[in-house]
Amino acid sequence: MSLLNIKDISVNYGRLSALRNASLTLAKGDTLFVTGPNGAGKSTLLKAIAGVVAPKSGTICFADKNIGGRTPEDIARLGFSMVPEGRHVFGSLTIEENLRLGVGMRDDKDVAERELETIYSVFPMLKDRRYQTAGVLSGGQQQMLVIGRALMANPQLIAIDEPSLGLAPKVIDDVYAVLLKLRDTRGLTLLIVEQSSARATMTGGRMILLRGGEIVLEGDARELTKSDALKAAYFGYGEHH
Amino acid sequence: MTALLQILFDALSLGSLYALGAIGIALIFGVMRLVNFAHGDYISFCVFALLWPSIDAAAIVFAGQLPAYLLIPIILATGACLSMLSEVLVFRRFRNANPATMMIASFALGFVIKYTLLMLFSSRPKSIDLWSELALPVEILDARIPLLQVITIIITVLILAALVAFLKRTRFGLEMRAAAENFTMARMLGVRANAVILLAFAISGMLAASIGLILVTQTGTVDIQMGSSVMLVAFIATVIGGLGSLPGAVVAGFLIGGISVLMQVILPLEVRPFRDAFVYGAVIVVLIWRPNGLFAPRSAKQRV
Amino acid sequence: MTKRPSIFLRTVSTPLILILVLACFLALAALVNSGPFNQVVIDAFVKVTLVVGLYVFIGNSGVISFGHIGFTCLGAYATAWLTIPPMMKKMALPGLPDLILETKLPFGIAIVLGGIFAAIFALIVGKILMRLSGIAASIATFAMLAVINTVYSNWERVTGATSSVVGIPIVRVVWPYFLAAAGAILIAHLYAISRSGLALRAARDEAIAASASGVDIGRERLIAFIISAFITGLAGALSAHSVGVVTPDTFYLNLTFICLSMLVVGGMNSLSGAVMGVVVLSVIIQVLRQFEKGVDFGGTVLAIPNGLQEITIGIVMVVILIARPSGLTRNTEIVWRRWPFKRVSATAGS
Repeated sequence: MSLLNIKDISVNYGRLSALRNASLTLAKGDTLFVTGPNGAGKSTLLKAIAGVVAPKSGTICFADKNIGGRTPEDIARLGFSMVPEGRHVFGSLTIEENLRLGVGMRDDKDVAERELETIYSVFPMLKDRRYQTAGVLSGGQQQMLVIGRALMANPQLIAIDEPSLGLAPKVIDDVYAVLLKLRDTRGLTLLIVEQSSARATMTGGRMILLRGGEIVLEGDARELTKSDALKAAYFGYGEHH
Repeated sequence: MTALLQILFDALSLGSLYALGAIGIALIFGVMRLVNFAHGDYISFCVFALLWPSIDAAAIVFAGQLPAYLLIPIILATGACLSMLSEVLVFRRFRNANPATMMIASFALGFVIKYTLLMLFSSRPKSIDLWSELALPVEILDARIPLLQVITIIITVLILAALVAFLKRTRFGLEMRAAAENFTMARMLGVRANAVILLAFAISGMLAASIGLILVTQTGTVDIQMGSSVMLVAFIATVIGGLGSLPGAVVAGFLIGGISVLMQVILPLEVRPFRDAFVYGAVIVVLIWRPNGLFAPRSAKQRV
Repeated sequence: MTKRPSIFLRTVSTPLILILVLACFLALAALVNSGPFNQVVIDAFVKVTLVVGLYVFIGNSGVISFGHIGFTCLGAYATAWLTIPPMMKKMALPGLPDLILETKLPFGIAIVLGGIFAAIFALIVGKILMRLSGIAASIATFAMLAVINTVYSNWERVTGATSSVVGIPIVRVVWPYFLAAAGAILIAHLYAISRSGLALRAARDEAIAASASGVDIGRERLIAFIISAFITGLAGALSAHSVGVVTPDTFYLNLTFICLSMLVVGGMNSLSGAVMGVVVLSVIIQVLRQFEKGVDFGGTVLAIPNGLQEITIGIVMVVILIARPSGLTRNTEIVWRRWPFKRVSATAGS
């Protein structure tokens, strides 16, 4: 039984086509890397799932429900957590308030406290500064905060747009360690957009390559990176799959 | 000393009205980038809810006869309902429109409300006696201060405190602050957009209702224009305070109240009638100096 | 396959068609030849001038101005100052400078001076205001309107404060108003196809690209602001002569709202929209006014209550904003292509 099932979705911005006939499926506990050059439609794919942009055609099913046309909040409440590009922390809220927002859909005091402790144990830095406003955090700390916040909801699927962007290598390692641990212990499903395929090679999992709004390549992350097909497809010469 | 105290109370009570108005406007702007020109007409509408519709010169008091413990909740509810109704019927359809279009729509809505009142009650001001005993002065440190001024200030402080408690201590308040800063992100975290916006409208409407009640008690008249003048200044306070910033709106409201009263005292007699021109002119100066207002929220620039 | 008409026809056809439409109203007025109907047509021509003036700034720059009715106010009072007989002026407005107190100019010169007065004011204020953009700019223009209104409502010796200024020579013939409206349309069109107009519309649609290619947005906006202030000021002067009385509150929020409605209903970004909006809303307003006075239905006179006219306008406005945000013309210009008229996009063509 697949958790996420996308069939033939296309997204347009005005007359501009950003995504064409993309299909993919994800089962619980899967890891999927989405890679590709700038403007390939990676972020658009995530936004379409999150309900922020409306697909022109195609269907998206998540947790056995057709989520086409649902609002972002409804989709979030089904267990989809999204970390969009650009680290959207709420700068005027404290770190703890930011985190508490994440648990919104299950506003049970005990649950909130327990999740909060879990996140704090993963990112102790956040606990140290819990009563400061999030606006003062550095880029890397903000990234930890948004990922922590997305995890507060104890989602079934977390989609992260470029988790490594602007982070120190050590921090990237920490972030991935957390994500993989949650995948292995809780069965968290990962959908990660990365521009480079290096991380996918280390972590393993499946990978798709988007270019010009289309999925041009799909397969096991390690095997794909070993072959020349990825490079060829990435830069667009030779269409041999 | 007593004169000074009198000026202080004048400034604070006038500033209270402006602050309550400004916060009502800022609240809506925060969650949906709407500059709600209809806010002033909510104030007028609530005041007219005290009366029975009639175009006669004499006012037929209706809800105004009720005891305070019934009257106040009814008028507050009127404000909240009108405000929520305008969101459901009108503004909801402009969720993805640009701010200018929404501004014009709110202008149109205000126009409809104002002329509905005109149709029902005529454009003549009417006098009404609501709690006129509050106009009696009380002695504070030898100064004779109208009791109503003191009450206005106390009520405003209470309302602001309640609002702060709501925003800081409750889940809805947290969501509202988050939504004001980054609406899309808040929704992706499961914050229910319509609920938060509706609640903001309800609070904003209640604030308009409380301004209406204070105004009618102060002046003893009802007039379809009475909301507009407060709204205009409140609106300016919102801009000076930094659109969307609630503390900014409050500070700027009191600031303008203070400056207005001060100008009334220190301006030479022949320039005094132009006092409001100086206040409006100040808005332009502030905008040139700081296009995002004096206390712009950090997020104001990021939002597109 | 039809032959495409010449580029000349396509570029000048818009103002010609619009002026032709107005000429039809002029002819109709001559035909009906009744005082009240003339007044209706005059009123419509004044509104056309006013809304076209508003379009010059709002349509080309994309910045909503709530302040242009301030210019209308300036123009109206300026013509009042210049045309009221000196005897009356000395009584009612003793604070005016002696030079103005002694003069009495003919209508034609005074209205142009009224427009110029508004334009000069716009030049000074615009230098400051045009640095702003978006909501801040809209609000600043609103503040400007409030300042003008406050000053004119209180300057007893120069504007008569809130009391009506009377004695303005009333001009009841229709053609001067027609000429003014046609002139406004021509000026607006010439501006729209000028270098400055093109640059400003480019900046409206693609601000970053335009400034990257060397468009000085502030300067172009200022030019549009001044031209539109001239036209709206002229319209104010005309309106003063059409009724013979001015008060500050005539030129405040209600008129701002009506004019913005007309522009939005027609389509903010097109000249045809400005004219069409005035025509459509004027007709609706006239019909409703008639109903307010009472309409005889086979013996029973039915009258709608006062205020319903404005309520209807407000509702029409909201509905159009929801259903057709780009207005009745969908922001396109009416051009001569072949019969019947075809429209081209105001952004791509014109």
